[in-house]
Amino acid sequence: MNKRLIFVLAGFSLLACNFLFPQKASPTLNPEISSSENEQILELAELTIVRLHRQAGDLQAMLATESKKAAALGQVPVVEFDATWCPPCLAIDSAIESRNELILSAYRGIYIIKLDVDEWGWSNSGVQNFNFDAIPVYFKLDAEGNQTGEVIDGGAWGEDIPENIAPVMDEFFYSGK
Amino acid sequence: MKLHSLFILPFLCVLAACGRSSTAAQGISLSLASFTENYVDVSIHLEGSVGEGYILSATFTPPDGYHLYSKDIPLNGVEGLGRPTLLELTEYSQLHALGMLTESVKTMEPNFEPKELLVYPSGTVTLSLPVELPARDAWLDDTVKITFMACSASTCKPPVTGMIVPIRVPGAGVYK
Repeated sequence: MNKRLIFVLAGFSLLACNFLFPQKASPTLNPEISSSENEQILELAELTIVRLHRQAGDLQAMLATESKKAAALGQVPVVEFDATWCPPCLAIDSAIESRNELILSAYRGIYIIKLDVDEWGWSNSGVQNFNFDAIPVYFKLDAEGNQTGEVIDGGAWGEDIPENIAPVMDEFFYSGK
Repeated sequence: MKLHSLFILPFLCVLAACGRSSTAAQGISLSLASFTENYVDVSIHLEGSVGEGYILSATFTPPDGYHLYSKDIPLNGVEGLGRPTLLELTEYSQLHALGMLTESVKTMEPNFEPKELLVYPSGTVTLSLPVELPARDAWLDDTVKITFMACSASTCKPPVTGMIVPIRVPGAGVYK
């Protein structure tokens, strides 16, 4: 009799826990190429990540819009080209998703605008004014969505670990500020 | 003068015979194609002899510090990551594969997840495929299919998937 009561109470406790502390769907930084809507993938206190889709409109107009949103948040707009098949790109996404302190510290105050190369193409296939030959690659934008000329790719750090990435990106993001 | 010719003629015949047997023993080594695509140098060769058979091979040389992925990972990568390194005969190729594709270097586990995403050490990789030449006495136009992707520890070049490369191959009768 006591055992049955314990089982019933345990069941109720589990239900109550789920109700009181619902599990949030973990954000994924992987793109959905078929989408026609731009996505806000992640918004932490001082880091925003959005992904732009080709079907959603003109790239330069969207970059201008996103840069204004970044300015309103007091964040620096940065375009990142990535791809689902790129292990180094995934390494950075994973570090952000797992809330790696070094990476989050380096990316503090940044507004990442992700563009998938399989959707937008490489620099030689029509992505206006963006010149690159490897990913991940980051382009700083000004408040109007234009490139500032500051660019960095994964070649700037060695092995893809937060200890290597964080200081390099921190310097890149905050240089000239 | 005539006597002199009598000595030279057999000598030339012997030389010619030696030359022919030497060619047969050494076999052929032909460069079928050579190009650079997405920063990787690729060269395609055909080597072998009538007696020992022929090997079609592709040598991939990525930029310094870059590696290629195992020929054995799926076409769409492991969990979507990476792309295999492949040399394939096309559907209507007149060459016939006689065995499995082999690699010149051993793969290794990457130092990141997923560990199944096997990579070759940085540098050149050669893939080889034993083939049978078409039963013809002439050279023929043919094609092979090439797939690869080069990444370093922190950056990736664009992948090349199923690139059709035109080649010209000898029929089996050409070297008989």
